[in-house]
Amino acid sequence: MTNQETAVGIAAAVAAGRLTASATIEAALARIAAVDPGVNAFTDVTAERARARAAALDAERAAGKPPGPLAGVPFAVKNLFDVAGLPTRAGSKINRTRAPAARDGALIRRLEAAGAILVGALNMGEYAYDFTGENAHDGPSRNPHDRGRMTGGSSGGSGAAVAAGLVPLTLGSDTNGSIRVPSAFCGTFGLKPTFGRLSRAGSFPFVASFDHLGPLARSVADLSFAYDAMQGEDPDDPWQAPRPVEPVTAALAQGTSGLRIAVAGGYFARGGEPDCFAAVRLAAEAVAATRSIEIPEAARARAAAFVITASEAAGLHLDRLRERPGDYDPAVRDRLIAGTTIPAAWVHRAQRFRSWYRARVLALFDEVDVILAPCTPCRALTIGQATMELDGVTVPARPNIGIFTQPISFIGLPVVAVPVRVGGGLPLAVQVIAAPWREDLALRVAGAIEAAGVGAAPVAG
Amino acid sequence: MTTSPSSPAVPLDDDSAGAVVDAMVPLSGIPMAPEWRETVIASVKATAAAARLVLDFPLDDTVEPAPVFRA
Repeated sequence: MTNQETAVGIAAAVAAGRLTASATIEAALARIAAVDPGVNAFTDVTAERARARAAALDAERAAGKPPGPLAGVPFAVKNLFDVAGLPTRAGSKINRTRAPAARDGALIRRLEAAGAILVGALNMGEYAYDFTGENAHDGPSRNPHDRGRMTGGSSGGSGAAVAAGLVPLTLGSDTNGSIRVPSAFCGTFGLKPTFGRLSRAGSFPFVASFDHLGPLARSVADLSFAYDAMQGEDPDDPWQAPRPVEPVTAALAQGTSGLRIAVAGGYFARGGEPDCFAAVRLAAEAVAATRSIEIPEAARARAAAFVITASEAAGLHLDRLRERPGDYDPAVRDRLIAGTTIPAAWVHRAQRFRSWYRARVLALFDEVDVILAPCTPCRALTIGQATMELDGVTVPARPNIGIFTQPISFIGLPVVAVPVRVGGGLPLAVQVIAAPWREDLALRVAGAIEAAGVGAAPVAG
Repeated sequence: MTTSPSSPAVPLDDDSAGAVVDAMVPLSGIPMAPEWRETVIASVKATAAAARLVLDFPLDDTVEPAPVFRA
């Protein structure tokens, strides 16, 4: 098998008996050994458990047990997911001294129940407070399309592992854009589901108000299969919403039929490089979207997300800041320390604004079903790049990479990041945004953009 | 209130931000090395600038905070 195989393709081959799970895992491990030293996506390779799991799956198959929908699919997870036997490092030095996790995180267990096989844990920005994919302890994850450039973060390894063809499926987390930014920089598809949809149990937190988990892959079908396998109630996650399992895979074939699709104007049509908006236009043309819609007060939404993020993250890390501040990545530590000084009234106000903003944005979905917007204001920056120019103004790079993603995750809307190439340069991505609990609509539109040949995630050359 | 505040939040200058950091960080028991102070101050200023956008936006008293706790 090649590195071009999709998760759905592998599962179909295993189900048909054309391929064994053991063969897929050996191929993935060989690719990781050969390619990852130059990409730095993996921090842990769980070869022994992967081989054992593959052998067990092949034995079950030989005994006549029906294969799961992801049979034999190798996958890897951002290293803030609990992996049994490993300390959950969350990109940090400090967490490496934690006791090994007693069991896998909930979403790993669900993917493995569907037949997928975990092959390792992935590099990330420290404690997920990051848009770059750089890491002071493990080194930066490197963009497979140009190894001198950022992967984006914080799920940098998750984007790099998929874009490099090491595995067809990874899991990441997205608080302010950490699945969607690596999807844009690395040119992968990514799904940030509705806030509260998928269980967060067994993952290291960042900002309780905004944390989401979700998949990255090289096709919409792969995202959908993985997403369907991960849905379901989990009493271990008190933040999860009481929603039934609502499978999306069967709906993909409906395409854009009957859907009202608009392009986000105003805030989402300025403040970025022209090609970012060209990518949105290409996607809009692919699905015949001609109307524009204004998401109100998006700049204020981003600001409110910024304040809540800084405050909640500081509160989470207070003990470690008191005990081991010198062991943090300085770029993370100093923002966390600053977060401890934020007046509680500001955070309360930001959470009240969040309610106001949610009501206004949800009203837009009376008029449209799906909104298209740029994912990032730029292509992948050079590793270590501290500033960038937006609309002729030099701004700090780190916080501004997420200007288009933060106002969307702030109110937990489901989004599919669709990778689009403009003019032969490095990848960009378009956010395909739907109303809460309508992942199906976002995935249908993403699938239509893919089917039109505009959205694609080829393995890096 | 629903009208714009008549006394908008003011920008935070370096001296004021430094005073905030020097007063607040020890209150949380964080041992801050002197060489971290400058970047912490820059981050406090960035957060204050973001907060001004939020503080200066009028909200009716009936707007509840987004998180909901259920006993």
